[in-house]
Parts: sequence; structure tokens; C-alpha cells
Amino acid sequence: MSNSAMETLVSACIQFLQAYPPFDRMEAAALRFLAERVRLLHYPKGARILSTEMGVAPALYIIHRGRVRAKSTVGLGSGEPTSSTLGPGQAFAIGALMAQRPTFGAYVANDEVFCYELPADDFFALTQKSSAFNLFCTQHIAGLLKQSQQQLQLQFAQRAAEQKTMNSPLAAVAKREVVSVAATASIREVVELMAARHLGSMVVVDEQEAPVGIFTLSDVLKRIVLPGTSLEQPIASVMSPAPATLPLAANAHDAALLMAMRGIRHVLAVDEGGRLRGVVSERDLFKLQGAGLRQIRHAIDAANSIEVLQHARRDVRQLSLTMLAEGVGAAEITQFISTLNDTVTRRIIELNLERHDLYGIDWAWLSFGSEGRDEQTFTTDQDNGIVFICTDIMDRELTQLRFLEFARDVNADLDRCGFPLCKGNIMASNPELCLTLDEWEERFARWVRTPEPQALLNATIFFDFRPLFGRFNLAHRLRLALFRQTRGNPLFLRMLAENALSVAPPLGRIRDFITDADPEHPGTIDLKKYGVRLFTDAARVFALANSVEATNTVQRLRRAGAVMNIAADDLAASIEGFNFVQLLRLRHQHFEQEQGRPGDNLIRPDDLNEIERRVLKEAFRQARKLQARLKLDYQI
Amino acid sequence: MNWFSRFLRPAHDAGAALDARQEQLLADWRQLPDSDQRRSHYRSRYVVIDVAVSSGDAHAARLLAIAAVAVVDGHIAFQDAWQLLLPDAAQAPGVAASPPATATEVPADSPMADGLLSFLGFVGKSPVVAHNARFIRRVMQRALAEYLGVRLRLPWLDLAWILPDLFREVDAGPERLDAWLEHFGIASIKRHDALSDAFATAQLLQIALAHAASKGFDTPASLRELEKARRHLHQSA
Repeated sequence: MSNSAMETLVSACIQFLQAYPPFDRMEAAALRFLAERVRLLHYPKGARILSTEMGVAPALYIIHRGRVRAKSTVGLGSGEPTSSTLGPGQAFAIGALMAQRPTFGAYVANDEVFCYELPADDFFALTQKSSAFNLFCTQHIAGLLKQSQQQLQLQFAQRAAEQKTMNSPLAAVAKREVVSVAATASIREVVELMAARHLGSMVVVDEQEAPVGIFTLSDVLKRIVLPGTSLEQPIASVMSPAPATLPLAANAHDAALLMAMRGIRHVLAVDEGGRLRGVVSERDLFKLQGAGLRQIRHAIDAANSIEVLQHARRDVRQLSLTMLAEGVGAAEITQFISTLNDTVTRRIIELNLERHDLYGIDWAWLSFGSEGRDEQTFTTDQDNGIVFICTDIMDRELTQLRFLEFARDVNADLDRCGFPLCKGNIMASNPELCLTLDEWEERFARWVRTPEPQALLNATIFFDFRPLFGRFNLAHRLRLALFRQTRGNPLFLRMLAENALSVAPPLGRIRDFITDADPEHPGTIDLKKYGVRLFTDAARVFALANSVEATNTVQRLRRAGAVMNIAADDLAASIEGFNFVQLLRLRHQHFEQEQGRPGDNLIRPDDLNEIERRVLKEAFRQARKLQARLKLDYQI
Repeated sequence: MNWFSRFLRPAHDAGAALDARQEQLLADWRQLPDSDQRRSHYRSRYVVIDVAVSSGDAHAARLLAIAAVAVVDGHIAFQDAWQLLLPDAAQAPGVAASPPATATEVPADSPMADGLLSFLGFVGKSPVVAHNARFIRRVMQRALAEYLGVRLRLPWLDLAWILPDLFREVDAGPERLDAWLEHFGIASIKRHDALSDAFATAQLLQIALAHAASKGFDTPASLRELEKARRHLHQSA
């Protein structure tokens, strides 16, 4: 008898849910499963339905009646909480549930609210039962990723906005807080003030705040120290009178022109009343002049000396930042860095070829590691080698010597252009990495046949090779030889998969992240070792197992994923996760370097804002999914 | 008892024909401990009931259906709902019209007694809530006395009295369930269906519990006090 009652109520619930996505497209059996397990709860106006301090999200909430205000503190930097209102049929806490963590922010009843609540265990069972629901949740997470990337880009866009152009009005370019002194002030007062505030110059103004003169550090020597002027004299006696001024509406170009014409280094910005409103220095204007991609490429291609290339390298860095600011994705930026670094490397090789005669020999310059994968970040050391063809075995030693000499010069030049020498000596000048095609093939075959730990480590570096210069078909032949080896050797792939699984995503059971993996840097996560590596290692196994030639992780995942029947949404989520980790790395490295520190990969989750933490956690969950696939495929 | 036997089960001998199994069920129910009225609403089980009858006159009414929905720890779970659909005496006198699925649970010769035993099993000793409880209570008391010889000594709560006290600003007309449902935007699955109305009333109870709790009436006992006070006020006024 109670069955018929339950049946009626469940049917009514199903009917309600069917009016809303994703329930409208859910499989009938799954929908029934959901309706049979929900409980109906009521929350009076103002009640907190779910918030951070309630701990791990216990249920999926589907609003049956009333409105719920969702407050989340996802505002970047500003900490400004954003809020949205949810109505009937809308579900919440999916992100928190999927990650089994507390929600961020709070969900508060706006009026008398009724919610259907599905306990967490049933929620997970439902994601298993219903592909429609699973898809919905996955897309929800992907939405979070997008949202976060937009936030990141917003942050950089603000920085870009600060990077004005030469067309910006002085109002935007000039330093606003100008320290000025009255004409009657003594030289001693002025110099003391300049010393105390580390000022290079001081504007002198009259009673109406109109600038009447300027006094700079270089004047101290010429007008005070050498002539032996008394420090008690008024500043007016030693300042440069009638300083150059421009209205605030004038632009940076006008200021640059005025400086050039009068041979001065400062221009004062004044308002309509002639009152001092800011100072523009020559240095400020220099900073405005950025270089575009084409100019950089052109400069690199035309470079005839290492010095020019060194400049170009700096421009590459500057432009990458601008791209980061303009919201270009991590995949594009790392690809861009790789491309321009390739261009620099090629030019260095070309310059050195003028001094080394390698004519008549088939050879290619190879990149390994992240460079081989087109995934360079701001801090990348060299990982390179040479493959060549030796037709006569008697010439082999001599030919190698010639290549080694050549490689030493290239490595040294690369070092000077900002690609530090590799600590592990993975460089073309290492005789072990300057080999004939046969030797490379033999070496690869040995690693595949005997997958001892060192061989596996080598595989993770050298199997991601990519030709940079010379005969590209040598690299292609090497790749085909590699596939012949790996295809016939399931044990090797299994070992490589095991190796990939030796590092787990740093997701904690209790806390969000495991941050004590490195005892020297507590509270941090190494986003290289415990971040990108999770993705690149899995992608490498996928690629080798499916004869995918690409070395780039995203391309490997895409191409191998298609062969392996990984669902498009899962694939997209993994790629987004990988790109997000890369983006965090890039941003971190950039900030580190701006602070004058060597760019490392150690990020501190506590320093991330809530949405970044949330998305990083989702990214790690995606990595875990990839690992789960490895475990399944290789029965590990 | 005449009115009842006339309409429900003309041939039945009041409270006399329980078999051993039914007696055992009844004894089991009697032995259940009384519920603790001093616990929070959110640690209590309420059972909201409604009935469908053939007329508004308690003496002439024929019982067509009984429905009950539990509100446990403040929430409603669909598994925790119960209903009994009774044979329509006018069309098929004396024949059980229960759905086939439940027909096996209820012996054909005593559907009413078994139905009411099942009802007792569902309610247990929980406080019983209804809108316009006096009428429903009277109908239920009579049926229980008639068929099981039981006096239902459970705490009854009447939302028709409690709601106006909690929501003094609402002019719903205390007698009308529809007015309250409309005020709170609670949709009925099927108008004037016992289960549907019990479910809607259970949602009213959820609202009432939250607001009562915020005013310090946070236990079943305190709700009864609230109701008593209002009845007293109105009857003396």
C-alpha cells in the first residue's frame, strides 16, 4: 500500500524534474533512480542551505520552489563576492560534490525554499548510471574552468591596460603623485627629501602650484658640489627654470617629441590652470614601446650577432606576457614561446654553420623534453641533440668530432641567449647525444627492450624528440623505428605506464591538496613534477601505444584519444585541465621573475584564490582520470 | 456505530473478528514506546494524514481513502509515505478495490482491518498532524474503534490552528487549506486527493516547523501548547 503512495509522489517528482535540464534529457531509469532517492527539505527565508563551514558538500541540491542566492567569493584579487540567484529546477554544489570538498561561498534561501536533496553517494551512483547526467556535470566543471580562465585573463588584461601605448594621454601615463617643493625651500631640504624618498628629480612650484623649475640628481654634481654652492641657498638658484610642460590631454608621443627636441628627460603634465599634475620621464616612455611578433621574428631572422639575438629573446618574453594579458590560452603561449625559441635556436645554428663546415652530411638538430613537446615556459634550459648519417663507418669518429665542436659553440651561444646549459648535460655537445641514426635507433631499441629505471627516465625525455634544423626526415625515420620497437613490446609500455603512475595527483583526502611532498618547500606544490608531468606522462604512453607521431601533449591526447575512444567531453576536460596547470605555471614563473627570483614551479595553493583552487583541483581530477585509464589499459 | 457499518463494511462485526496474526500486529503496535515530545522538530517524526470521504458530514461520510506522509527530522522521503484506497461501496459493495500489487498483502476477507493495522504500523506512536484535524480525527477514531477496537491516543496537531498563530500577517482564512497552499505557492499534485493533500500539508508542516522553531516552539510538545493556547483564546473570546 505504501508502494502506491511512493509511486504517486515519485511520479510527481519526475514530472517536475522533466521540465528542467539536464533532467529533461536523462534516461528514464536514471531519472526514476534520482526521484526515488531525493528527500524534500524546506528552508525558511534567510536560512543557509550550504556554506563552506558546513564541510564537504553532503548532497546535490535541486531547487523545487523558491529562490536561492548563491554567493561566491571568486572575485580575483578584489575579493568582491559575486552573487547570483537560482530558481526552481536549478541544481547546485555539483563542483563541490564532484571534488568531495566544501562549497565555496554560501547558498542562502531568498524566500521559503524547498529543495530536493540527493545524498552524495546516490549522486555518484547517478553519474555512473546516467551518461546524460554525467555529461552535464562534466560540462559544469568545464564551465568552471572557462570561468576561471576568464578571471585569470581579466587579471592580466588589467596589467595590459596598465601597459599604455604611445597614444595614451599623459593623464594615463604620467606619475600622479608628484613630490614638489616651493621655490623658497633650501637646497638642503630638497636634497634631503630626494635622498629620503629615492627621487631622481624634484619639481619646484610657485604658490599657484604651477611648475617654475626642475631639479635633478645630475644637477647636484654640476651646480652644487663642484661650484661649492651653500646648501642654505634657495632651490630656485640652482634649478633649471621654465621646465617643459604639456597639458594632461597631450599624449605620450607629444612628450617623446618634446624630449627629443629640447634634449630633456622629463616633461611635466599640467592641468588647464597650469597646475602641476604629473611627471613623465624618458624611462616611462621607453616602457610604452613594446615590440610586436612580426618585428621580433624579423629581428631574429635578420640577426647577425648573438647580441641582437639576446635582445630578441627579451622581446619574446615581453610579448609572451602581453599575450598572457590578452587572454591567449596556455597552449598557444607555450607554442608561441617554443616557436620563437625555435627561431632563435635556428638562427644561432645558422650563424654557427658559417664557421663550421658540415656540408655534404645529412644531419638534424633535435629538441627533447618540453622543447620537444612545444611546451616551453619562461624558464627552460637546453635539451638538445644531433642525429647524423655516416655512410662510411671509418669516418664516424671524425664526423662526430666535427659535430661536437659545432654543438659546443651552439650550446654556448644558446646559453648566452637565455637558454641555460643543461645541468644533466642533455646537450648536443655531449658525445652520447650526438649520434648517427643507426646509433640512435639502437639506443632507443635498447631502452625499449630493457626497461630498467634509467631507460624509462630516458624514454620520458628523449622519446619526445622533435627536429629543429636540418634534415627533418631523419627524425621521421627515427620515429618510425621507435614505433616498430614499442608496438612489438607491450612490456615496455606497461613499464612506462607504471612509471607514469609513480606520481599521483596531489589531491588530499582531508585537505584539498597535498602540499608537503617536498620537505624543503612545505605548503607548495611543484606544478611540473606533480602537475604537467601527470598529463605528459600519460599522453606519452597513449601516443606510443597508438603510434601517434605528435610530441605535443595536447595533440597526443587529441589524436590518441580519438583512437582510444575517449569521450570527446572527457578529452576536452583533460586538455583544459592540462592547459590550466600550464597557465598557472606561466603566470607563477612570470611573477617570480618580475620579483627577481629564478622562476620555479612551486605554487602555494593557499595563495590561489578560491576559484583557482577549485579549478586546480578539477585539473588534478582530470589527471587522475587519465591515470585511471592507464591502470585499466595495463592492468596495473 | 450504525452509520459506519452501514457504509463501510455492512457485514463486519465490530472489533471482534481479528485473527491471531492481526492480534499480534495490534499488540506489537500497542507495545511501541510513546514518542518523546520534548525532542527538537528536527529529531522527531511527524505523520501528516488526510482522508477522502464521500461527504463533509462526519456522521454521514464514507471513508474512501487514507493517506499519510512522514516528516522525519524535518525532511520528506518518498519511501516514507503510505496510502489506503478503499472499495467504493456504492459501486462494488464489500469488495476490496485495492490495487493488484497490494491485494496479496491484504486478505480479501478483511481489507479494512488489515489496512488500518498497516496504518497503525506506519504511524507508530508519532504525533499526527492534519489540517482541520478534528474532522479527520473523528473519522479515523471511529474506523479504528469499529474495526480494531483501538482508541488512538496519539498527540494530534492541527495546522488550521497553528498556522494562523505563526503567520498572523497572513489572512488565509484559517479553515481553508487551499488558501494556505496558495499563499506559500505549494502546488497540489491532484486536487482533493488524499495523498496529494497529505503531501501538500506535509510541506506546510515543514514551513510551520521552521517558523515555530525560530519563535522558540521547537518541539512537538511546544507546538501542542501553541495550539492549545490559541484554541483556549478563541473559545473564550
